[in-house]
Amino acid sequence: MLLVSSKFSNEKVVIDDSSPEGTSRIHVAFEKGKLASADPASTILFMGGG
Amino acid sequence: MLQRTICRHVLIALTLAVTIAGQATADAKDKLKADDQRVLTYLLGDWGKDYSVTSVDIALRAVRVKDTDETRFRIGSYIKAHPELHEVIRRWGWVTLALTPDEKLIARALVNAERDGKPTPSIGEIAKAIGIAEDQAKRSLSILERYEIIRRNPSRGGAGFNVITRYLKWEPRLDFLFHQVTLADGRQFNTN
Repeated sequence: MLLVSSKFSNEKVVIDDSSPEGTSRIHVAFEKGKLASADPASTILFMGGG
Repeated sequence: MLQRTICRHVLIALTLAVTIAGQATADAKDKLKADDQRVLTYLLGDWGKDYSVTSVDIALRAVRVKDTDETRFRIGSYIKAHPELHEVIRRWGWVTLALTPDEKLIARALVNAERDGKPTPSIGEIAKAIGIAEDQAKRSLSILERYEIIRRNPSRGGAGFNVITRYLKWEPRLDFLFHQVTLADGRQFNTN
Protein backbone atom coordinates (compact mmCIF):
# COMPACT_ATOMS: atom_id res chain seq x y z
CA MET A 1 0.00 0.00 0.00
CA LEU A 2 2.90 2.27 0.73
CA LEU A 3 4.20 1.71 -2.79
CA VAL A 4 0.76 2.22 -4.35
CA SER A 5 0.29 5.55 -2.61
CA SER A 6 3.82 6.83 -3.05
CA LYS A 7 6.37 5.59 -5.58
CA PHE A 8 3.79 4.06 -7.94
CA SER A 9 1.03 6.60 -7.35
CA ASN A 10 1.12 7.71 -11.01
CA GLU A 11 0.74 4.35 -12.63
CA LYS A 12 -1.38 1.25 -12.77
CA VAL A 13 -0.53 -1.33 -10.15
CA VAL A 14 -2.10 -4.78 -9.89
CA ILE A 15 -1.81 -6.77 -6.69
CA ASP A 16 -2.52 -10.49 -6.41
CA ASP A 17 -2.84 -11.40 -2.82
CA SER A 18 -3.61 -14.29 -0.52
CA SER A 19 -6.54 -13.66 1.77
CA PRO A 20 -5.46 -12.92 5.34
CA GLU A 21 -6.21 -16.40 6.66
CA GLY A 22 -8.16 -18.49 4.17
CA THR A 23 -7.20 -20.18 0.95
CA SER A 24 -8.77 -17.75 -1.49
CA ARG A 25 -7.07 -15.20 -3.70
CA ILE A 26 -7.64 -11.48 -3.98
CA HIS A 27 -7.00 -9.47 -7.14
CA VAL A 28 -6.89 -5.69 -6.76
CA ALA A 29 -6.03 -3.02 -9.34
CA PHE A 30 -5.08 0.56 -8.63
CA GLU A 31 -4.97 3.45 -11.10
CA LYS A 32 -2.88 6.39 -10.00
CA GLY A 33 -3.13 5.49 -6.37
CA LYS A 34 -6.87 4.90 -6.38
CA LEU A 35 -8.70 1.61 -6.22
CA ALA A 36 -9.94 0.68 -9.72
CA SER A 37 -11.23 -2.86 -9.19
CA ALA A 38 -11.29 -5.67 -6.66
CA ASP A 39 -12.11 -9.35 -7.01
CA PRO A 40 -13.95 -10.67 -5.09
CA ALA A 41 -16.16 -7.62 -4.78
CA SER A 42 -16.48 -8.25 -1.06
CA THR A 43 -12.79 -7.43 -0.56
CA ILE A 44 -12.24 -5.03 2.31
CA LEU A 45 -9.28 -2.77 1.78
CA PHE A 46 -7.49 -0.95 4.57
CA MET A 47 -5.22 1.87 3.52
CA GLY A 48 -3.32 4.00 5.95
CA GLY A 49 -0.92 3.64 8.77
CA GLY A 50 0.21 5.13 12.01
CA MET B 1 49.20 -56.89 16.33
CA LEU B 2 49.57 -56.86 12.53
CA GLN B 3 45.94 -57.90 12.18
CA ARG B 4 44.78 -55.05 14.45
CA THR B 5 46.82 -52.53 12.44
CA ILE B 6 45.33 -53.79 9.17
CA CYS B 7 41.84 -53.59 10.65
CA ARG B 8 42.48 -50.02 11.77
CA HIS B 9 43.68 -49.02 8.29
CA VAL B 10 40.68 -50.63 6.65
CA LEU B 11 38.41 -48.80 9.07
CA ILE B 12 40.09 -45.46 8.37
CA ALA B 13 39.86 -46.09 4.61
CA LEU B 14 36.16 -46.94 4.92
CA THR B 15 35.50 -43.83 7.00
CA LEU B 16 37.27 -41.69 4.41
CA ALA B 17 35.31 -43.32 1.59
CA VAL B 18 32.00 -42.66 3.37
CA THR B 19 33.00 -39.06 4.09
CA ILE B 20 34.02 -38.42 0.49
CA ALA B 21 30.85 -40.05 -0.85
CA GLY B 22 28.73 -37.96 1.53
CA GLN B 23 30.48 -34.78 0.43
CA ALA B 24 29.96 -35.66 -3.23
CA THR B 25 26.23 -36.14 -2.61
CA ALA B 26 26.00 -32.83 -0.75
CA ASP B 27 27.90 -31.06 -3.54
CA ALA B 28 25.63 -32.51 -6.22
CA LYS B 29 22.54 -31.44 -4.30
CA ASP B 30 24.01 -28.02 -3.74
CA LYS B 31 24.98 -27.41 -7.35
CA LEU B 32 23.05 -24.99 -9.52
CA LYS B 33 22.82 -25.21 -13.29
CA ALA B 34 23.77 -22.22 -15.42
CA ASP B 35 20.14 -21.12 -15.84
CA ASP B 36 19.51 -21.57 -12.11
CA GLN B 37 22.43 -19.27 -11.43
CA ARG B 38 20.91 -16.63 -13.71
CA VAL B 39 17.68 -16.83 -11.73
CA LEU B 40 19.55 -16.53 -8.46
CA THR B 41 21.57 -13.58 -9.73
CA TYR B 42 18.31 -11.86 -10.69
CA LEU B 43 16.85 -12.49 -7.23
CA LEU B 44 19.95 -11.23 -5.43
CA GLY B 45 19.73 -8.02 -7.46
CA ASP B 46 15.97 -7.66 -6.98
CA TRP B 47 15.52 -8.45 -3.28
CA GLY B 48 15.15 -5.36 -1.18
CA LYS B 49 14.26 -3.01 -4.06
CA ASP B 50 10.80 -1.55 -3.38
CA TYR B 51 10.58 -3.90 -0.36
CA SER B 52 10.88 -6.82 -2.75
CA VAL B 53 10.87 -10.39 -1.44
CA THR B 54 10.48 -11.81 -4.92
CA SER B 55 9.92 -15.54 -5.21
CA VAL B 56 11.63 -18.02 -7.50
CA ASP B 57 8.62 -18.49 -9.82
CA ILE B 58 8.53 -14.77 -10.63
CA ALA B 59 12.29 -14.69 -11.20
CA LEU B 60 12.02 -17.62 -13.63
CA ARG B 61 9.54 -15.63 -15.72
CA ALA B 62 11.68 -12.51 -15.50
CA VAL B 63 14.77 -14.19 -16.92
CA ARG B 64 12.75 -16.42 -19.26
CA VAL B 65 13.86 -19.74 -17.83
CA LYS B 66 11.36 -22.59 -18.17
CA ASP B 67 9.40 -22.99 -14.95
CA THR B 68 9.39 -26.62 -13.83
CA ASP B 69 8.89 -28.14 -10.39
CA GLU B 70 12.45 -29.49 -10.49
CA THR B 71 14.00 -26.15 -11.40
CA ARG B 72 12.08 -24.29 -8.71
CA PHE B 73 12.89 -26.96 -6.16
CA ARG B 74 16.57 -26.91 -7.03
CA ILE B 75 16.83 -23.13 -6.72
CA GLY B 76 14.57 -23.03 -3.65
CA SER B 77 16.65 -25.70 -1.93
CA TYR B 78 19.78 -23.74 -2.68
CA ILE B 79 18.25 -20.60 -1.15
CA LYS B 80 17.15 -22.66 1.86
CA ALA B 81 20.70 -23.93 2.34
CA HIS B 82 22.33 -20.54 1.87
CA PRO B 83 20.78 -17.86 4.09
CA GLU B 84 24.13 -16.08 4.02
CA LEU B 85 23.39 -15.01 0.43
CA HIS B 86 21.06 -12.13 1.31
CA GLU B 87 19.46 -10.36 4.22
CA VAL B 88 16.00 -10.95 2.71
CA ILE B 89 16.42 -14.72 3.15
CA ARG B 90 17.42 -14.29 6.78
CA ARG B 91 14.72 -11.73 7.49
CA TRP B 92 11.71 -13.31 5.79
CA GLY B 93 12.77 -16.94 5.58
CA TRP B 94 13.36 -19.18 2.58
CA VAL B 95 9.79 -20.50 2.44
CA THR B 96 8.20 -17.30 1.19
CA LEU B 97 10.90 -17.08 -1.50
CA ALA B 98 10.80 -20.71 -2.62
CA LEU B 99 7.09 -21.54 -2.75
CA THR B 100 4.61 -20.59 -5.46
CA PRO B 101 1.26 -18.98 -4.56
CA ASP B 102 -0.47 -22.37 -5.12
CA GLU B 103 1.95 -24.16 -2.80
CA LYS B 104 1.46 -21.49 -0.13
CA LEU B 105 -2.31 -21.76 -0.31
CA ILE B 106 -2.17 -25.56 -0.16
CA ALA B 107 0.11 -25.41 2.88
CA ARG B 108 -2.36 -23.02 4.46
CA ALA B 109 -5.30 -25.35 3.72
CA LEU B 110 -3.51 -28.15 5.56
CA VAL B 111 -2.34 -25.90 8.41
CA ASN B 112 -5.84 -24.49 8.92
CA ALA B 113 -7.46 -27.92 8.99
CA GLU B 114 -4.92 -29.39 11.40
CA ARG B 115 -4.96 -26.37 13.69
CA ASP B 116 -8.73 -26.31 13.84
CA GLY B 117 -8.91 -30.04 14.53
CA LYS B 118 -10.74 -30.69 11.27
CA PRO B 119 -10.15 -33.67 8.97
CA THR B 120 -7.38 -33.28 6.44
CA PRO B 121 -8.95 -32.14 3.17
CA SER B 122 -8.78 -34.55 0.25
CA ILE B 123 -6.78 -33.71 -2.84
CA GLY B 124 -10.04 -32.90 -4.62
CA GLU B 125 -11.12 -30.55 -1.84
CA ILE B 126 -7.74 -28.85 -1.80
CA ALA B 127 -7.79 -28.40 -5.57
CA LYS B 128 -11.29 -26.93 -5.44
CA ALA B 129 -10.45 -24.57 -2.57
CA ILE B 130 -7.33 -23.29 -4.30
CA GLY B 131 -8.86 -23.22 -7.76
CA ILE B 132 -6.42 -25.58 -9.47
CA ALA B 133 -6.53 -29.02 -11.11
CA GLU B 134 -6.09 -32.11 -8.93
CA ASP B 135 -2.91 -33.03 -10.79
CA GLN B 136 -1.43 -29.65 -9.95
CA ALA B 137 -2.48 -30.06 -6.31
CA LYS B 138 -0.69 -33.43 -6.17
CA ARG B 139 2.49 -31.94 -7.61
CA SER B 140 2.37 -29.05 -5.17
CA LEU B 141 1.87 -31.44 -2.24
CA SER B 142 4.90 -33.36 -3.43
CA ILE B 143 6.98 -30.17 -3.42
CA LEU B 144 5.80 -29.30 0.11
CA GLU B 145 6.79 -32.81 1.20
CA ARG B 146 10.22 -32.53 -0.38
CA TYR B 147 10.78 -29.23 1.43
CA GLU B 148 9.78 -31.05 4.67
CA ILE B 149 6.90 -28.69 5.34
CA ILE B 150 4.48 -31.62 5.37
CA ARG B 151 4.99 -35.33 6.03
CA ARG B 152 3.11 -38.24 4.49
CA ASN B 153 0.72 -39.83 6.97
CA PRO B 154 -2.00 -41.95 5.33
CA SER B 155 -3.64 -42.56 8.71
CA ARG B 156 -4.79 -38.94 8.74
CA GLY B 157 -7.14 -39.59 5.85
CA GLY B 158 -7.87 -37.00 3.18
CA ALA B 159 -4.76 -36.05 1.25
CA GLY B 160 -2.77 -38.08 3.79
CA PHE B 161 -0.31 -35.53 5.12
CA ASN B 162 0.64 -33.98 8.44
CA VAL B 163 2.05 -30.48 8.70
CA ILE B 164 5.45 -30.42 10.41
CA THR B 165 4.99 -28.93 13.89
CA ARG B 166 7.25 -25.97 13.24
CA TYR B 167 4.85 -24.72 10.55
CA LEU B 168 1.72 -25.47 12.53
CA LYS B 169 2.83 -23.19 15.33
CA TRP B 170 4.03 -20.49 13.03
CA GLU B 171 2.29 -17.26 13.83
CA PRO B 172 0.80 -15.69 11.81
CA ARG B 173 1.62 -18.12 9.00
CA LEU B 174 3.93 -15.49 7.67
CA ASP B 175 5.54 -17.51 4.96
CA PHE B 176 2.33 -18.95 3.55
CA LEU B 177 1.02 -15.64 2.27
CA PHE B 178 1.86 -13.64 -0.81
CA HIS B 179 1.48 -10.12 -2.13
CA GLN B 180 2.41 -10.13 -5.79
CA VAL B 181 2.78 -6.76 -7.45
CA THR B 182 2.53 -6.23 -11.22
CA LEU B 183 3.47 -2.84 -12.65
CA ALA B 184 2.35 -1.33 -15.94
CA ASP B 185 5.73 -2.08 -17.54
CA GLY B 186 5.33 -5.78 -16.73
CA ARG B 187 7.73 -5.92 -13.80
CA GLN B 188 6.58 -8.33 -11.12
CA PHE B 189 7.78 -8.75 -7.58
CA ASN B 190 6.53 -9.86 -4.19
CA THR B 191 6.34 -7.81 -1.04
CA ASN B 192 5.66 -8.85 2.53
